[in-house]
Amino acid sequence: MWSQLNSGAGYWNVFIWIIFFAGISCFVVWIRSFGRMDYKRNTDQDEIYWEGNEVPDDGASISVPASSSYWGFRVAMEPLYRLLDKFHSGSGSDYAGYFVVTVALVGLLILIGGK
Amino acid sequence: MNIRDHLPAFLVMLPLLGAFLTPAVGSLGKVIRNGFYILFSFLTLLTSLSIGCAVFWGNPMVYVMGGDSFALTLPSGMSYPVRILFEIDAFGALFAICIAIASFAGALFSIAYMDKFSGWKKYLALYFMLTAGALGMCATGDLFNFFVFVEISSIASFGLVAFWRDKPEAIEASFKYMLVSQIAAMLLLIGIGSLYGKYNSVTMAALSSMMRDGYLERVVIALIFCVLAFKCGAFPMHTWMPDAYAEAPTGVTCLLVTVSQASFYGLIRVCYSIFPRIATGGVVGWVLIVIGCMSMFFGVMMAVVQHEIKRLMGYHSISQVGYMLLALGVGLVALGDQKDMIDYGYTAMKGGLFHAANYSIYKALLFLCAGSLYYATGTRNLDKMGGLARNMPWTTGMFVIAAAAISGLPPFNGFVSKWMIYESSFAIHPILPAIAMVTSVLTLASFAKVFQAAFLGPAKADFVAVREAPGFMLAGMAVLTVATLLLTLFPSWFTSNIFEKAAVALADNAAYVRAVMGGI
Amino acid sequence: MTDSIVSALDTLGNSAYVVVALLILMALYTMLTQKNLIKICVSIAILGSSVNMFLVLLGYRDGGEIPIYFLQGENQAMVLPTPQCLTLTAIVIALATTALMLSLIILLHKHYGTLDIDEIRRLRG
Repeated sequence: MWSQLNSGAGYWNVFIWIIFFAGISCFVVWIRSFGRMDYKRNTDQDEIYWEGNEVPDDGASISVPASSSYWGFRVAMEPLYRLLDKFHSGSGSDYAGYFVVTVALVGLLILIGGK
Repeated sequence: MNIRDHLPAFLVMLPLLGAFLTPAVGSLGKVIRNGFYILFSFLTLLTSLSIGCAVFWGNPMVYVMGGDSFALTLPSGMSYPVRILFEIDAFGALFAICIAIASFAGALFSIAYMDKFSGWKKYLALYFMLTAGALGMCATGDLFNFFVFVEISSIASFGLVAFWRDKPEAIEASFKYMLVSQIAAMLLLIGIGSLYGKYNSVTMAALSSMMRDGYLERVVIALIFCVLAFKCGAFPMHTWMPDAYAEAPTGVTCLLVTVSQASFYGLIRVCYSIFPRIATGGVVGWVLIVIGCMSMFFGVMMAVVQHEIKRLMGYHSISQVGYMLLALGVGLVALGDQKDMIDYGYTAMKGGLFHAANYSIYKALLFLCAGSLYYATGTRNLDKMGGLARNMPWTTGMFVIAAAAISGLPPFNGFVSKWMIYESSFAIHPILPAIAMVTSVLTLASFAKVFQAAFLGPAKADFVAVREAPGFMLAGMAVLTVATLLLTLFPSWFTSNIFEKAAVALADNAAYVRAVMGGI
Repeated sequence: MTDSIVSALDTLGNSAYVVVALLILMALYTMLTQKNLIKICVSIAILGSSVNMFLVLLGYRDGGEIPIYFLQGENQAMVLPTPQCLTLTAIVIALATTALMLSLIILLHKHYGTLDIDEIRRLRG
């Protein structure tokens, strides 16, 4: 039950990883202990620094929306995404067509290839 | 016969009974209805677990409806293989357990999630029908019966996807799914009919023992292959999947995931057990591998750019199914050559089955997390969410576990199964694990995006008053989280006791035939 | 009358299967080219019927009889009832799906105000 898992070329043991993470957490706690506790509360010292401006109350005005993340990835892959968008056209008869074409292709492959 | 022998029948009977008792019980008040819902889901789970115990540490179970032997012997001595039978081996039991767990978790979740909506009787009846259909697909030993269960689960899922019929998108998703699904079902029936015409039987074991290579058989395997690949969401036919998963009520989405798993079970069963003489070491395995790679890559590419949370997860389902198709395809290519099987075939099959179990559990958990977010905020759009980790700590914690598992971050279970798939597919061609790893990285990227957009960041004014999801929803999610953690902590126990037995049962076609036909 | 049909079938041989194949192709063609939802639904019904016809044909046996004798009859050619059972089940399933599909079409028309499949595509990308 506690033994490791062998794949023939390597092994996997979850407890090594758990010990590893425990070690890392100790390290993190150690680094955190360098932090200073003597800052002045309720002054400018515990204000968030945001380019010297006042932080807006509503988080919506300063957060990056999800559809903007990976913008560069999307631009770099533009040709592929144009194809994929065309593929997911939303038309039911297109989807039926993909299915019929796939059946025909796979059928042809297996019929000719066989064993 | 004691009650243990009747377990396979109970597996399908319990949810069916639940479905047909619903109209009576549903009008007895909220508490009784909820208790009934949980009780029947839990009994189904118990049945599947006890079948699992009996099968993993014993022989395959064969249950003939209304008789002792599956063949009807006439006084003249002629015998016809006419009776309907259930056959559950280790491979089927594994999938039945996954389905029952997801069904139980979805039931717990739905009690709170659907509380404020009407139409409970219909919801419950269809939910149990869907469970019965999916479990029946894993239990049956008869191809026509398999078709009937496919249709039961399909019709129930059309109804459930369109459950919120005031939303145009829900109706649209259901209609598109139904359109292609009906063509698929008819092609499946043509395939089964052709087999019956040639071999005079629809019993899987009998067909498997008589099967020869021929043009008709090749056409039939292509038909059944494509139909079931469509049902489990493989690449060129996956388009229904994100639509349906996104629009269905969340408790149902969690179950739809396992219905696609049941179709995956059927696909693998057909390739490995019914047509081993055609599928082994030939084109079929390569078609599985190619379709698997395409599903993995294109599924995740589409997922990265989505900004609606359930749609994004729907595209991830496609790429996760791709992993399993790849692994079982590698196993199919190796099957038949004893040395290849020992070198990498069994590892691939074990990895694929491990991934199937992982996928159905953590994916169901992810969908439930998405549903919990929707319940709390009223939106599925990631652009509008933000800073919810402060308000919903439990959902956040369980989402992190599930997201780390699906992205294959060690030490979670997703990594273990993906690692087995990488190592074994490397033996066939190095490009396969490369595609799988790129997919894994992109999966991590898109879940990092979901986590950042929904849970991190400054609190938004609209969501200051958002509260954690109610207890029943958290309980449903907790069931799946515990299952994920168990698979994470004891991968070697699960592999050697469950996945290896399932892989051996799948590869050993003769044992599957022998369990029904006796010593042939 | 029945005899003449049977003899006509005999002379035609396997041509009944050709009819099945033609019906299936017709249904698929309609499904892929027509844009009207009702016509698509009709084509699915045609597909279902042609598959049922295929199943019934599989069970056809020249001069066969229904096997309901208690004692040995004079006719020895019996028809195995399995394909008929399969067909009955398939008909019931086809009925259920057609009814469900038509009701979905009603709802689609209510929401979108059109029956053109190319205009019902809010879910894409």
